[in-house]
Amino acid sequence: MNPAFDLTAVGLLIVVTAVLGFSGVRLSRTTGDFFVASRSVGSVWNASAISGEYLSAGTFLGLAGLVLLSGAEGFWFPIGYAAGYLLVLLFVAAPLRRSGAYTIPDFVEARLESRAARGVTSVVVLVIGWLYIVPQLHGASLALGVVANVPGWVGAVVVATLVAAIVAAGGMRAITAVQAFQYWLKLTALLVPAVFLLVVLSQGGREHDPATIFPADYGPAAVDTYATVSLLLALLLGTIGLPHVLVRFYTSPNGGSARRTTVVVIVLIGAFYAVSSTMGLIARVVAPDLAVRGLADTVVLALPARLFPGLVGELLTALIVAGAFAAFLATSSGLVVSLAGVVSQDVFGGSVRSFRLSAVLCTVVPLAVALLTEPAGLVSSVGAVFVFAASTLSPVLLLGVWWPRLTARGAVAGMVVGAVACGAAFIGGGMIPDAGPWAALLAQPAAWTIPLTTAVIVGVSLRDRAGVPFRVERYLARLHTPDS
Amino acid sequence: MTDEPPRLPRVRVTASGSPRVSRPSTRGFALPGRAPDEADDVFSRGLVRAQLRLAIGCVAAFLVVAGALAVVIAILPELGDPVVLGVPLSWLAQAYAFYPVILVFALIFVRAAARNERRYRHLAEPGSDA
Repeated sequence: MNPAFDLTAVGLLIVVTAVLGFSGVRLSRTTGDFFVASRSVGSVWNASAISGEYLSAGTFLGLAGLVLLSGAEGFWFPIGYAAGYLLVLLFVAAPLRRSGAYTIPDFVEARLESRAARGVTSVVVLVIGWLYIVPQLHGASLALGVVANVPGWVGAVVVATLVAAIVAAGGMRAITAVQAFQYWLKLTALLVPAVFLLVVLSQGGREHDPATIFPADYGPAAVDTYATVSLLLALLLGTIGLPHVLVRFYTSPNGGSARRTTVVVIVLIGAFYAVSSTMGLIARVVAPDLAVRGLADTVVLALPARLFPGLVGELLTALIVAGAFAAFLATSSGLVVSLAGVVSQDVFGGSVRSFRLSAVLCTVVPLAVALLTEPAGLVSSVGAVFVFAASTLSPVLLLGVWWPRLTARGAVAGMVVGAVACGAAFIGGGMIPDAGPWAALLAQPAAWTIPLTTAVIVGVSLRDRAGVPFRVERYLARLHTPDS
Repeated sequence: MTDEPPRLPRVRVTASGSPRVSRPSTRGFALPGRAPDEADDVFSRGLVRAQLRLAIGCVAAFLVVAGALAVVIAILPELGDPVVLGVPLSWLAQAYAFYPVILVFALIFVRAAARNERRYRHLAEPGSDA
C-alpha cells in the first residue's frame, strides 16, 4: 500500500465533493431547496442519489469482511437490504410522496393530527440516525488507520467535519449531486478492482480446493433458521423506517415517479451488492489469513496488493480507498440532512439558518459516540439499526398509510414499547453473553419485537375509538389517488 | 365604494366537451360546509383496497418464490453441489440469485399499480384520461 496514493485519492474525492456541493449552493435559495431539492429531481439522477446514500460502509467494506469471517450467511444482509427496497416500493413509496410532508415526523403529525406523536417520532428518528452514523465514522477511522497509519480518531473527525460543512452549506440540492456522483464512484471503485482480480484468478496458477475455501459448514445450508428469518424480517421492514431513505422520495415530482425511481434504485443497489459479494468470494480465495475479528473489515483494502504487488496494486487500492470514503460521506451526509430537517423544524423555527445550526449539532453527537466506543463488526452494527427502525417507525408508517383506525395514542405506545424492547434485548444480549436458549432471541430480537410493536399499536388504537383523526378518510384518499 | 358592482358569472373555458365531475380545489380535504363527494369516496376507497391487495399479493408471492429459492440452495450440497468457476453453485446462487427475483416483482408491481390508478382515473374523471 502506498499512503501517498491513498491520501491523494481521498483528497481528490474531497475536492470533487466540495466542488459539486458548492456549485449546488448557488441553486439553494429557499427553505424548500434546502429540505427537498424543490421536488424537481429526475428519476435516474434521484435513484443514483438514493443508492449513493443507501450503500454505506456496511456493504462497501463490511460485506466482504463478513463473508470472509462467517461464510455464506453474510450474503443475507445485502439480499435483505435490496428486498427492503421492494417493500418500500410496494407499501410506502408513492403514498409518502403524495403526503406532501418534508420529514417522517411531518407525516406522522399530518396523518394523526397530534403534536405528541410528532415529538416521539422525532426522538426515534434522531436515535436511528445517530446509531446509523456511528458505524460510518468507525469505518472511516478503520480505513484511514489501515492506509495511512494515523491515530484512530482522525478518520472519524475528517468525515464528520466534511459532512457538517457540506450539509450546512448546501442542504439537499447540493447533496443530491454529491450522492449521485458517489454512487457511481462506489460502483467503479469495487467493479474495476474486482475485474482485475478475477482476470488474474482465472489465468490460473493459484489452484484452490473449493471444499476447503468454501466449506459446507459455512455454506448456505449451514445457517441458523431462526436467526436468518429474524434478521431478514428486520432488514426487509427496517428500510421503510430509515429516515434518510424516505426523505429522498419527497424529491420526486409525483407518486408515479417515486415508484419508477424505486425500481431504478433496486437495479442500482442490486448491481453494487453483486460486485460487493464478488469481493467477498475473492477474499475467501486470496486472503483467508485475514479472517480475524477486527481485521476482516479491512480485507477489501488488502486484496489488490495480494495479486498485484506493484504500481497497479497501489493504484487499485487508492481507488478502493476513495470509494470507501465516498461510502462514509454519502451515508453520513444523507442522514445528517434528514436529521437536521427534523431538528430544525421541531426545536427551532424551520428556517435556513436553523437548518445549518442543526446540521452541525446532528454531526457532533454521533462523532462523540464514535470516539467513545470501540468499532464492532460494521455489518452487524448497521444490522442493529435496521432492527431498531423495523421495531419502531416501520409499523407506524405502514399502518399510517394503510389502516384508517390508527390513532396517535396507538402509535406512541407502539414506538415506546418497540424502542424499549429493542434496547433491552441489545443491552441484555451484551451483558449476559451466554443466555442459553435465550441468546438467539436477544441477539436477533426482530422476530418478536416487530410483532410486539404492531400488536401494541393495533390494540391501543382499537380501544381508542375517540382518537381516530377527523379527516382520516380524506387524508388516505390523498395518499392513494394519483397526483399527476 | 358602497354599491357592489354586479358580479358577472364566471365562464369556464375547457377544451374537452365531455362531462366532468366537479372537484374541490383543495385536494384531499373537504371544504367547510361542502358535502363530501360520495361517488369520489367510493372510487378512492376502491383504489386503496385494490392497491393494498396488489401490494400484499406481491409481497406474498415474493416470499414464496424467495423461500423456495432458499430451500433449493440449502439442499444443493446434498445433491453434489457442482463447482462452477472454482466456487460451489450453492454459494454462487446465494450471492447472486435473489436480486433478479426482487427486480421482477418490483417491475410487476409498478405496472399493476399504474394500471389500478388509470382505472381509478377513468372512473373518477371521465374523459380526462381514456
